[in-house]
Amino acid sequence: MTGIRIALAGNPNVGKTTLFNALTGSRQHVGNWPGVTVEKKTGRITRNGHTVEVIDLPGTYSLTACSADEVVARDYILDEKPDVVVQVVDATNLERNLYLTTQLAELKTPIVIALNMADMAEAQGDPIDREKLSEFLEIPVVRTVGTRGDGLDALLDAAIREAETSPHHEHTVGYGSEAETMIATLTDALSADRDLAGRYPLRWLAVRLLEGDENVLSRLRKGPASARVEEILSRIDTDEYEALMADKRYEAISAVLPQVRKANPREMSPSDMVDRVVTDRYLGIPIFLALMWGAFELTFTVATPFMTTIDGGVAWLAELVAGSIEPAWLASLLGDGIIGGVGSVLIFLPNIFLLFLILAVLEDSGYLARAAFIMDRPLYALGLPGKSFVPMLVGFGCNVPAIMATRSIEGEKDRLLTILVNPFMSCSARLPVYILFAGVFFPEQAGSVVFFLYVLGIAVAIASAKLFRSTILPGEASPFIMEMPPYRIPTATTALLHMWTRGSMYVRKAGTIILTGVLVVWILASFPFGVEYGGAGSFAGMIGHAIEPLVAPLGFDWKVAVALIFGFIAKEIVVGSLGTLYGTGEETLPSALLADPGLSAATALALMVFVLLYTPCVAALGVIRKETGSWKWTGFSVAYGLVVAWLLAFAVGHAAGLFMGGI
Amino acid sequence: MSDTAKLVFGAVLGALYLVIGLLQLLGAVVGPIPGLDTFYLTGNPFSGFVLLVVGTVFAVGARKLFAGSGEGAIFVSIGVLFSVAFGLVELLALLATGLDAYLIGEWAEWSAADAVNPLLYLAVLGAAGFLAWCRAFFRGPGTA
Repeated sequence: MTGIRIALAGNPNVGKTTLFNALTGSRQHVGNWPGVTVEKKTGRITRNGHTVEVIDLPGTYSLTACSADEVVARDYILDEKPDVVVQVVDATNLERNLYLTTQLAELKTPIVIALNMADMAEAQGDPIDREKLSEFLEIPVVRTVGTRGDGLDALLDAAIREAETSPHHEHTVGYGSEAETMIATLTDALSADRDLAGRYPLRWLAVRLLEGDENVLSRLRKGPASARVEEILSRIDTDEYEALMADKRYEAISAVLPQVRKANPREMSPSDMVDRVVTDRYLGIPIFLALMWGAFELTFTVATPFMTTIDGGVAWLAELVAGSIEPAWLASLLGDGIIGGVGSVLIFLPNIFLLFLILAVLEDSGYLARAAFIMDRPLYALGLPGKSFVPMLVGFGCNVPAIMATRSIEGEKDRLLTILVNPFMSCSARLPVYILFAGVFFPEQAGSVVFFLYVLGIAVAIASAKLFRSTILPGEASPFIMEMPPYRIPTATTALLHMWTRGSMYVRKAGTIILTGVLVVWILASFPFGVEYGGAGSFAGMIGHAIEPLVAPLGFDWKVAVALIFGFIAKEIVVGSLGTLYGTGEETLPSALLADPGLSAATALALMVFVLLYTPCVAALGVIRKETGSWKWTGFSVAYGLVVAWLLAFAVGHAAGLFMGGI
Repeated sequence: MSDTAKLVFGAVLGALYLVIGLLQLLGAVVGPIPGLDTFYLTGNPFSGFVLLVVGTVFAVGARKLFAGSGEGAIFVSIGVLFSVAFGLVELLALLATGLDAYLIGEWAEWSAADAVNPLLYLAVLGAAGFLAWCRAFFRGPGTA
């Protein structure tokens, strides 16, 4: 055999993607919370003359898939029939993980168990007898520690050996005489469908049908066995059988566990102790807010000297260009357009990298999973499923993967609701706008202003969810069950890798979309021929003046209006456009903004609120269209965002104006 | 260290954080409060909020210990962690402002005292608690 397909399956947050990255050398995003992987990823390696294709599947607790990401995992195993399924098992949580093993074994697919996080189980005093477990299950069990790359070779060798062996797992759970009789009856009925019988084990099909698996039922509809199977199922209560069979599986697991694991009776673990405080009913949310404040305080203050350095470099370059390049239009293109525009965005690189580093540390430590847990109560009360908070937190980085992460949410209405409110979560692209204006107009409390904007984004998302739930998307939110991952001390390598992966996207954007955007703005500001650069007679001036009446009540002039239009492409372009329109040259953009009599602290606050809330960027809209499959909801997202942004910017700007003056 | 020591420590730090947090919030509303310069109040309401949160964690710990619940020690230990973590945030901020002043040529005018705030100096007490209890706390159960 030269080509082998190995599917990595398992419960959420057991380290599948970490193993995938270690096996294939990929850099897929990993996180210490369930639901990070929502679609399958593929990588290739060669081993002992075999080309091995490794497929990383989203996590699933059982083969009865409930959410879109679980369906991806289940369908791949059932329909694509990989040569071997490597079930990644969390060694610290064997009982729950083996539930999926019992279902995979019934499928008679070749299985290898990767006993992952074995080091943590050993450290807790719960070592697992790997050989005995393998003997009981009739499945090869390999000890792995994904984060260190331990056991990878042994795992690959075991997987290749299994793929080359014909299916041999006859070990199945016994469900008791009553259920076994029903399984036999259904198996007999199903044997009439030769096509189906050729694709799936009949016992497995019968078990799934007895548990009321709609997906399996749909697979046999219109087949020759359909009528008799439906007649049999109509006489029984599948819910009762589902509960009974789950009990029997856990009974079987409970019989095996004491023989393979020495459970160490212990007091509360450090993870449990920390959770007592950070998930406290009353203190949980204040602690979450306090930690967020700390994160933004760090993001703003620690990055300042690095920003100063880049700013100095940009100013030096602009001065050099202005003084040495001829003709004047080329100097303007390079100085005002490219350096002024792209440079004013690149200045914020330190903040972006720092924010991503802090988010990576919070995520890898396991705290963000707790944040989702503590937000469940208020979210559920407002009609939003607690599971929504995970994609919402991902939105702090970028709304595009955040909207894709909603695939882990069961229930179409819940998912749509989460997609619609997600753009209010402040992504990193908006950070440059906040840092620029907060730094210029609120220099002493810039970190706190940025924190306020992030909290405002969460508040608007939650309020909008409540509004949608009581109007256009009525219904009850699904209950939220989330397993708390253990706290881990984040490794510097992983945290820095996360920071680099996400932060480098920002640099790439600066060299592509943002560069294009600022060049368009420069052209609009320079033409028609002979007009004053960025003057009222330029195309930019004409466009800006045409839109100005719409934004004038918010205190924005035509330059801001033009910047906001281009911010629709990518939010960073708001800053790049302002850099180009103000034609800062030797002067820095902050000084130019401070010198503009049309801008005040109140206007700056209104502008930051507007940028926080107005229409999602083009990439986010693309993914909203893809995930909702509807132009109507995509259009609604744009219109709703614009209306909310205008109203809140007006309210905040004018309220601030009462205290600070301006507007 | 005994639970009594943790109780006293939690009560003292809880009271300090809560009182200074309230003053910080008061300063944000009414402006600088005469006679309280020694507390380095910045008038930042969010910093005041954080002081109150940390103070509450300590106070809850002290109250639970007073009531005889061993869980109180956990709250005090986590309060210590928060105290040190927010102190580190402020220390890094202080160093960053100093470095920035140096880079822009305003080193002569920069004074570390301008960047001192309650979260920073109260963390010195938190650090003492950290050295006393938290290392044992994170070594594993039963050793705290």
